[in-house]
Amino acid sequence: MVTQEFQAVVLAAGRGTRLPEVLTDSPKCLLPIGPYPLLWYPLNMLQQHNFQDVIVVVLENERSEIQQALERTPLKIKIDFVAIDSDSDFGTADSLRIIHDKIKSDFLVLSCDIVSNVSLYPLINKFRQHDAALTALLFKSGFESDVTLPGPKTKHKPERDLIGIHPDSNRLLFLASASDFEEVMSVNAHLLRKNGKMTVFSRLVDSHIYVMKKWTIDFLLKKENFSTLKGEFLPYIIKKQMSKKTGSSAAAPDMQSEVGVALKPENDIFHYASNTHLEQRIQKATLFNDSRIKEPYNGDLIRCYAVVAPKESIGVRVNTTLSFFAINQKISNIWPQLFNEGEHLLISSNAVINSTQMKEVAVGDSAKLSEKTSLNFSVFGANCTINPKNIINKSIIMTSAIIEEGCNIENSIVGSRAVIKRGCVLKNCLIGPSYAVEEGTKRENQHLTNADGFMEIDIQ
Amino acid sequence: MNQFEKKEVIQAVLIADNNVEQLRPFSDKNSTALLPLVNVCLLDYALDALNRSGIEEVFVYSSLYLQSVREHIKEGIASLSSWSVNMTVHVIGGEGCRCFGDAMRDLDAKALIRGNFILLGADAVTNADLRPIFEQHKKTVKYDKGAAATLIFKEAATCNVRTGNEVMIAVDRQNNRLHHHQRLRLHGKESHFEVPLEVFLHNSEVSLLHNLIDPQIAIGSPSMLSLFSDNFDFETRDDFVRGILINEEILDSRIYVSLLPRGQYARKVNNWLTYCMVSQDVMNRWAYPLVPDMGINCLAQQYVYLKNNIYKSRKSTVIKAALRENVAVQAGSHVEAGTSVSCSVIGKNCKIGKNCVLVNAFLMDGVHVADGCKLDCCVIGVGAKVGAGSALTEGTVVDAKSVIPSGKVLKNVIIKCALGEDDDLVEKLGEQAFIIDDKQDTQSTYASDSEDDVPPTTATGIPKVAKLPPICDESDYTSSSDEDESRAVTPLVDDTNIFLAEVMDSLARGFQEKSNPDFLILEINSSRYAYNMSLKEVNFYVVKAIFSLEDIKEPANQNVLVAINNILKQLGPVMSNYIKTEDAMLDCLRALEDICEENEYVRAKISKVVHYLYDKDFVSEDAIISWYAQLDVDEHRTLRQSLKELIEWLNQSSEEEDDDDDESD
Repeated sequence: MVTQEFQAVVLAAGRGTRLPEVLTDSPKCLLPIGPYPLLWYPLNMLQQHNFQDVIVVVLENERSEIQQALERTPLKIKIDFVAIDSDSDFGTADSLRIIHDKIKSDFLVLSCDIVSNVSLYPLINKFRQHDAALTALLFKSGFESDVTLPGPKTKHKPERDLIGIHPDSNRLLFLASASDFEEVMSVNAHLLRKNGKMTVFSRLVDSHIYVMKKWTIDFLLKKENFSTLKGEFLPYIIKKQMSKKTGSSAAAPDMQSEVGVALKPENDIFHYASNTHLEQRIQKATLFNDSRIKEPYNGDLIRCYAVVAPKESIGVRVNTTLSFFAINQKISNIWPQLFNEGEHLLISSNAVINSTQMKEVAVGDSAKLSEKTSLNFSVFGANCTINPKNIINKSIIMTSAIIEEGCNIENSIVGSRAVIKRGCVLKNCLIGPSYAVEEGTKRENQHLTNADGFMEIDIQ
Repeated sequence: MNQFEKKEVIQAVLIADNNVEQLRPFSDKNSTALLPLVNVCLLDYALDALNRSGIEEVFVYSSLYLQSVREHIKEGIASLSSWSVNMTVHVIGGEGCRCFGDAMRDLDAKALIRGNFILLGADAVTNADLRPIFEQHKKTVKYDKGAAATLIFKEAATCNVRTGNEVMIAVDRQNNRLHHHQRLRLHGKESHFEVPLEVFLHNSEVSLLHNLIDPQIAIGSPSMLSLFSDNFDFETRDDFVRGILINEEILDSRIYVSLLPRGQYARKVNNWLTYCMVSQDVMNRWAYPLVPDMGINCLAQQYVYLKNNIYKSRKSTVIKAALRENVAVQAGSHVEAGTSVSCSVIGKNCKIGKNCVLVNAFLMDGVHVADGCKLDCCVIGVGAKVGAGSALTEGTVVDAKSVIPSGKVLKNVIIKCALGEDDDLVEKLGEQAFIIDDKQDTQSTYASDSEDDVPPTTATGIPKVAKLPPICDESDYTSSSDEDESRAVTPLVDDTNIFLAEVMDSLARGFQEKSNPDFLILEINSSRYAYNMSLKEVNFYVVKAIFSLEDIKEPANQNVLVAINNILKQLGPVMSNYIKTEDAMLDCLRALEDICEENEYVRAKISKVVHYLYDKDFVSEDAIISWYAQLDVDEHRTLRQSLKELIEWLNQSSEEEDDDDDESD
């Protein structure tokens, strides 16, 4: 087999802890986004970028379900499923560690929850151009800002990252969560002395799409205490950019790296980010320089870069209930931007549709939408049934849910297999899976569910 | 109406006296605005810069040396200085003005400023075109009525030399609003910069700019002056910036920032190091068109410009001497054979003898240097005389009219021709040469720079003329503690540590707020159960926590006993609650043993501390004696030694007691 320049890894073993309301027994990566499961979107994205095969990391107990679900979607990309033990608590870095022997080249890591139309080529090119250790793609945040989350009113406090980028070279200099600091943010002075300036962004979201050098996985293999990529490994490698190689190799930089390797301690990151003799000579000979007065890249061996997605592009991470709701509500609107016309259908051809008043809806497989209904800005999951005389607005009706006659549902999520009986009026409500809403119920801003642990609802 | 608006006259305010002491001894006698730099007064550079930016009305504000500034301006107008064309210059000022803030308040009271104005010090040397920035400021004001000022900064090459003019700022990328302003320390480098978190959270893109030079040029709105009047505690421009940033909302004022484009030069001369740097820059033509051969100030050509940046007056004579590079020689000067000059300025009517070496030497008018002198990094005032064979190096500054005897070797000193009232004499060299104390610790001026990230030295050394580092040295990497140990690598904090930390928190708070000891005991007990501590551990850690309080760690006046007394007065009940049995007392003493190793104050006074605890009945003598017996002979040699007397005394008294008992029986 010809070795590829890049391999692709999709991490789909997440448990979706931030989506408790909509997630029950099904895996996070199979949440419906319009007509397709969530995992389909990153895979389709890779396929569009001409990746032939991809490694998907899933939980052992969800493997067959995910496999079956993906078989029903139009995907040509060859998927290599790797299952990890579903009992242990695995972070994203742990997932990478599991598949280290499958990684033969530099690689892309994607999270399974990305819905985006951003081209990955600028990201990959930045990686190639600077021989970077890591490049990360950043989205602008605020996709879900105009959407109200159904259910009881809660204060939605988004997690915010502070991302420091050198404005001229796009070097990624700083990454921290805003919650790491209390009142003041402290920046290492060396960072500023060396780089002169840094722009700190607070409204960008890390897309969790990274291009990484192969050696990073070798390093991760040694450093077992890193369990997540974003939370632990990324801040570490970003900081390490600024440090100098220590010890023997720094004293004799021209020495063949093989000689130096043996002396270096194994857990030093520079042991992995080795600079071969050839690379050193190339760097000496090149005319390229990213600074006016110093040697190229300040002589840094580890270089991380960030690429900010263009403003008009779409990039959402579906990792909270709010973003899940927002993407579904807007999916029909942004569908033409995500895909070429006619490439993928918003409305499944197997759906039975008799409704005449439909605007911006997505309909899943075998869904049944009856006549005399008004359905707008909504998503209807597979096998769901909408009886006549219903008005449904800005809502998600999940798989196999049944809406009986004469209901008015607005800005709500109806869980899978839930039943809404005759004449209900629901506004800003979350209906849990398999929950049956009694006839004639009128509710606003409530979370109705069977599951224990959520709030108790007394039904009159 | 429109016609009137078009005829708007841009006003500028030049602050001529800024009461700097850093240019001693020259600043003792005259306004620093009149200090010649490459044979032209600083004031003329500033006026020229304003004229080139098309400013039509300038107020030169002066207080202490009002008369001499006024005369200089009069003379300049009379001799048709280049800046006098199309520009009216008024000299104003008052006696009572002591600082920059006073000057601004005085200007506000005089109501001379009609609109937005340019504000700069007379010590600024710049070739910047201020007009576009002025227009930008007007636009900003239209958009934001509370815009008080636009500060102008110049991006510098990332050089390591600190002159006191470097700043770190945080600016909103979208509207150039200033959110944070911090002057960099002159000595020693910062290890961290701390910027309020809300700056980043409220603005989506914030630039942190580190490599900036602050030439102290600004565009002010009329409100800037009234802000100074309203806030009488604003003394310097930095006070103003800080005050606005802290009270942005209360004062309803905001500050904006403008960076000079690459080709433009701006720097401030506020000490001898910057004096040297700016002189070199002027000769190196960075400040073009403010270069010696263009005739700054006067319209006549004064120099012939030769290669290697040599500016030589036609009326000067240089006989078989080597002018190497960056040299300016004024009219009437005479340089003898065998002398080599580089990177130096020679004023009018100077005489340099044979076989001298001048490097980075700045000679003002009428200086006589005898044969065989070595002048390296020094400034020599008007009419001074240097005797044969002298060597003046490392930032030596010689006052006007001083006479330095032959053969003197002077390093890094200030020499005056006569003693002033508040000068401290260090050494008398001759009738007209006294080395005076420059009122600062000169030792640490540069010593501390070699080490990175040293804690701030208390020295306030003023930078001296020095050789500039040819290239920028690599900023040394300092691996800060948070770098090497990422969060994952740090070992899990074990329960005992958390417990200790919690107890310390409780006690510290309880001590500060003087809360009821019973509550503290309750708190400690709940922590104890939370972390499942044994009674022994609790005893040990409570004592340890008490002795780890800040007051004992760093006692006032270093008197640790007083501190312990104070704390135990408050927290004594807590301690006695736990230390009841003999075993508990042993735990208590073991904790003290631990503390001894950490705290030198306690270590020095250990026997007194133990005695105190004994006096106050926290520990019994049996406990002390058995503890002493347990102490390892080798490991705790010093501890045993310091306790020896106490133990002996205890043994004695107990024997006596025994005797007493025996007798009574």
